[in-house]
Amino acid sequence: MTLRVSRRNFMAGGATLLSLSALGSSAFAQDTRLRLLWWGSQPRADRTNKVSELYKAKNPGTSITGEYLGWGDYWPRLATQVAGKNAPDVIQMDYRYIVEYARRGALAPLDSYMPSKLNLGDFDKAQIEGGSVDGHLYGVSLGANSAATMLSKTAFEEAGIDLPTKATTWEEFGKMAAELTKAGKRKGMFGMADGSGGEPLFENYLRQRGKALYTADAKIGFGVEEASEWFDMWNKFRESGACVPPDIQALDKNDIETNTLTLGKSAAGFAHSNQFVAYQQMNKDKLTLANHMRVTKDSKGGHYRKPSMFFSVSAQSKVVDQAVDYVNFFVTNPDAALALGVERGIPESAAMREVVAAKLDAVGKVPLEYVSGLGDLAGKLPPPPPAGAGEGELTLRNISEQVGFGQLTAADGAKQLVDELTRILARG
Amino acid sequence: MNNAMRTMPAEAATVERYRGAVADSRFRRLWNANAPGYLFLLPWLLGFFGLTFGPALMSLYLSFTDFDMLRSPGWVGAANYVRIATADPKFASAMSVTLTYVMLAVPFKLAFALMVALALNRGIKGLPIYRAIFYLPSLLGASVAIAVLWRQLFAGDGLVNAALAQFGIQGPSWISHPNYSIYTLVALSVWQFGSPMIIFLAGLRQIPQDMYEAASLDGASKFRQFYKITLPLLTPVIFFNAVVQTIDAFKAFTPAFIISGGTGGPINSTLFYTLYLYQEAFGNFRMGYASALAWILVIIIAIFTAFSFLSSRYWVHYDD
Repeated sequence: MTLRVSRRNFMAGGATLLSLSALGSSAFAQDTRLRLLWWGSQPRADRTNKVSELYKAKNPGTSITGEYLGWGDYWPRLATQVAGKNAPDVIQMDYRYIVEYARRGALAPLDSYMPSKLNLGDFDKAQIEGGSVDGHLYGVSLGANSAATMLSKTAFEEAGIDLPTKATTWEEFGKMAAELTKAGKRKGMFGMADGSGGEPLFENYLRQRGKALYTADAKIGFGVEEASEWFDMWNKFRESGACVPPDIQALDKNDIETNTLTLGKSAAGFAHSNQFVAYQQMNKDKLTLANHMRVTKDSKGGHYRKPSMFFSVSAQSKVVDQAVDYVNFFVTNPDAALALGVERGIPESAAMREVVAAKLDAVGKVPLEYVSGLGDLAGKLPPPPPAGAGEGELTLRNISEQVGFGQLTAADGAKQLVDELTRILARG
Repeated sequence: MNNAMRTMPAEAATVERYRGAVADSRFRRLWNANAPGYLFLLPWLLGFFGLTFGPALMSLYLSFTDFDMLRSPGWVGAANYVRIATADPKFASAMSVTLTYVMLAVPFKLAFALMVALALNRGIKGLPIYRAIFYLPSLLGASVAIAVLWRQLFAGDGLVNAALAQFGIQGPSWISHPNYSIYTLVALSVWQFGSPMIIFLAGLRQIPQDMYEAASLDGASKFRQFYKITLPLLTPVIFFNAVVQTIDAFKAFTPAFIISGGTGGPINSTLFYTLYLYQEAFGNFRMGYASALAWILVIIIAIFTAFSFLSSRYWVHYDD
């Protein structure tokens, strides 16, 4: 027996199939549906979901779906969703990418919602500027942080070495770290991580010397000389055993879990202050925060209060009003602030800062006090990194590894770094 | 053609029409006979054209644009290809890492798979269990979990160095040292020898036993039997495995991505071609450029495969 399918039947069947698949995508729900996307680990997800619950309780008829990924996977996912016209309504945004996304029209400008629907009246002014591109607000800062040195208090005490102070220079810290390695209280533990490929650390060093990583007009902000001295300094740390060898440093995937401090390979690591809470959760040692070391006794201004992350609203969103309302709730509601704590950084709203500070535990207070106590070590917020900065970060890491493994001298590495960054910036 | 039509006599035209009708009805009969087949194929065809062929064509178009995923693509002609050929040192370095990997991983994996297949072909008890156990790594192979496990094994204080320490050897952190990292990835690939092994095993079963009996009656040693009977008769299977494994090796991505944390480091020593392509597309928003890279990879794989087929004439023995 042969199955006979006439052309008409076939077409009808196909049309039915097509219309069925269209059904799936059309929205039946009467609820306002908000989609959120952010990067981070489980503790951040728990806190964020709690805020969503609070919001839903106040706004019946709203459904909120939150999705989160690790930093590395986050950006490909977001780019793909934006390209597929399927962007989430509320997007967690970083200082590094906000210019790129805003200029390419992916984010909704939020100026028209202020101040009635988006009340940032008691926000730190500099931080609002941090979320602005070409004079329009595209991101609401969720907290302030600053680059920081994470120290294992326990390991320093075991070795009988004092913790660094605000006055400690790189040279002195190098000696302390080498001593800690030599004390050998723990097998395979070195004084500090090899920070030569860490962009925030390098930027801090440059700023103390009156230079910058990038200038406001998207040019490279330092020269071969500074880079060469930077690599040279780390070569000396490597030789004296102050920092971990390069094959240990290469295990670091730029997250908390694989930082040499968490791996137990070093007593000091380099990170951001808002990560302190998570670092302490993952480390058995008692940890503390310190600033990055001074280049000379009187150099200053290396640090800055950085918007740790923003919430932006997608330009493709069909519910921009609702999304803005959610963001407003996120940064101005006291219950939300309590749920969030300082996990995303110190709240920008003065009122929320007070609410949170009153209820913080000892671990939560450390980053709060650290950021507010930077003093002369803190300087002005640099301009947002230009397009291509992401590639520049990888390049710094790559060249620092070549210097670390002895494949390049410090001077050659510096020259190559400046050449490659110039080339990357020119390409954009 | 037009001329022929004009000078065609009336009868001939009738014949032509008749032939056309025959061809038409033959087509209809074929269609009637095969329609159910096509109908059953439909899901696959939809998938192939919708999810594979269509996007592939799209990527060919994108490779001539400056598409950055956020704005609509702008035509740039062959600029991406010119850049790959003339001004991209990372392309060369990624290509050389990938070629090294292919050249090492494929032969070692095949040799290992053949060895295990020969051992299993000797009629030992519990063969299905061994086969399943040996096949297991292949099933897990491309998965993230295994790459993570590998990272633990070959790290500075991993199991491998713990074993070496028993012999007084202080090993480096294998996965994060630029001189060794690529070899840990080769080892990972060799360990996933299961699927070529199963195919070898099937091939070995096809070789008539009487050939071995005749050879041993003539006094041929085991080694000679292997060299003169097993290997030649197995060449079609070896060929098949080699082609499939080579294509797979060119496309390897997950192990390098997980083990280097997506950086291809240290010092680009594990920057596989596909990883570089991924970085350009999703890290640096250069989807157009990455599409061009992808098409270059397609061409390179095609060249390698064509070369294998051409060379097969000289070393693959088919049974006829």
